[in-house]
Amino acid sequence: MEHIHANEIIMTIGKSKTVEAFLTAAAKKLKFSVVVAETSPTYGGHEMALKLSKAGIDTTVITDSAIFAVMSRVNKVILGIHAVLANGGLIAVSGTQMVAAAAKHHSTPVVVCTGLYKLSPLYPYDEDWFNDLVAPDPVLSFDEGDLVDKVTLLNPYYDYVTPEHVDLFITNTGGHPPSYLYRLINENYDPEDTVI
Amino acid sequence: MSNLSQSPKTLEISAGLISKNKNALKTFDIVACYRKFLKENENISMPVAAIEALIELIKHSKAATISEFMESLKDASQELKASTKNSISLSAGTDLFLRFVTRTSHDVTNLGACKEQLINSGKVLVEKSAAVRHKVAELGVQFIKDDAVILIHAYSRVVMLLLQLAARKNKRFKVYVTESRPTSLGVRSAKILRKAGIPATVILDTAVGYVIDKVDAVFVGAEGVVENGGLINAIGSYQLAIVAKAASKPFYAVIESYKFVRLFPLNQYDLPTHTPDLLTFPDLDSYSGQPNQRDEDFKELGSGITRSSSPLDEESQRRHYIEEGGYPDLDKQDNIKDAQNFEEINPTVDYTPPEYITLLCTDLGVLTPSGVSDELIKLYL
Repeated sequence: MEHIHANEIIMTIGKSKTVEAFLTAAAKKLKFSVVVAETSPTYGGHEMALKLSKAGIDTTVITDSAIFAVMSRVNKVILGIHAVLANGGLIAVSGTQMVAAAAKHHSTPVVVCTGLYKLSPLYPYDEDWFNDLVAPDPVLSFDEGDLVDKVTLLNPYYDYVTPEHVDLFITNTGGHPPSYLYRLINENYDPEDTVI
Repeated sequence: MSNLSQSPKTLEISAGLISKNKNALKTFDIVACYRKFLKENENISMPVAAIEALIELIKHSKAATISEFMESLKDASQELKASTKNSISLSAGTDLFLRFVTRTSHDVTNLGACKEQLINSGKVLVEKSAAVRHKVAELGVQFIKDDAVILIHAYSRVVMLLLQLAARKNKRFKVYVTESRPTSLGVRSAKILRKAGIPATVILDTAVGYVIDKVDAVFVGAEGVVENGGLINAIGSYQLAIVAKAASKPFYAVIESYKFVRLFPLNQYDLPTHTPDLLTFPDLDSYSGQPNQRDEDFKELGSGITRSSSPLDEESQRRHYIEEGGYPDLDKQDNIKDAQNFEEINPTVDYTPPEYITLLCTDLGVLTPSGVSDELIKLYL
């Protein structure tokens, strides 16, 4: 509750149950509005916006390309993620890096909502090892005809966000800065488990 | 090595007797012992050699009480620290060992048993230290991507081991090594790497900015890691870290855990290696005897043209300067001769603040700079 204030404009991306629960709980006590990036090509943002508006939150859907433009009006960014790495970096849905970079440029605080179970003891040795390339059909479908033969289509599912972009992690144990993560990992993981 | 003129008999708690015994113990030359260990084994690092020397001292110690024993060890480590200019990693080793001795002396009250235990565990520590370097290297290897271009600084045994290990694991990569004046140890690194089949090129220290965009990652070793996660390493590391950060390249430090130091520098000049004689300006009155000599030199510097015998030569030189768009070909030998004067007042190590370091690979695991202080506390507790 202390992280959201009345009449704030919050930005989020993708569809995350954690963020949804966070925002709907806050909406019971405060009035604020949310801008959701639609998150192509999966368009999880659409579902998210639907759920938030059903909870009575004033929601706006924007295209991913409008993220930077709208960021100047945004007070706070709240993100849901797939995993947190040991150095504080994030693995989140494709498009999150854009939001984080735009937020950094505008000095907008970035808050990550996650359960502790998403914390990984691994470090990002390589920026590609965790990524999944999913079917490129939603990006450019076979209906486009000849064009499909002439281009190489990549549809990475995840983005890597560096720890410098994140300001706060809100977990089930409370709020922590990215520099505190090593402590959480030490408490929850044994070094024997992480080195194969 | 230890030629005691007399062995202490029953000790009385009088300062005179205690100091006499201290002198008797001092005849064990700790510095010579330390230097001997360093020479014997090229692969040993300074803190490990210091610990081995302290163990030798324990073996030869004729102290009869634990407090006298502790005093002699403390004096010996002070002597060791004073014997070398760059004592940071050495103090890390001695401080750690002394802490361990204090802990053991609290648990084992009998002096003889205490000494036994220290000698045995000291031996274990020294044996483990070689394995520690391998563990660090294994962790660090994971950060080398295939087809990567790595930039390293000067000569670090751990970094060498890491790169050789990576090559053995069939990773393909190339290495740029900074020459790292004034020791030019980078040249040695490049030779070792080439022998291991790794393509390595030496670059000028001043060319780091030029080369950084071609590089994928920077690896450095360290003399010590300080409490806030910063590094103390050969001069030039701080520059390297700043350039890497500006170019958004990861900067990895690989270091053994016994090099964690109980220091918290706020800037370069807080380091124990910073002495008042470093980076001083010359006393201009003693620079040249006559005032007109100074004016002549000033004119010469201002024109950028070397003094010449005839006006015709000056003309051609001036033309050369303007047309070629550069400085006339100053004699390199003159420059090198003058170099001896300034190398001595220049620092040999610098401090890299933690915000420039991406990750530290240690035998305690891969750490973020903020995680170092926690590990340090655990080590010393």
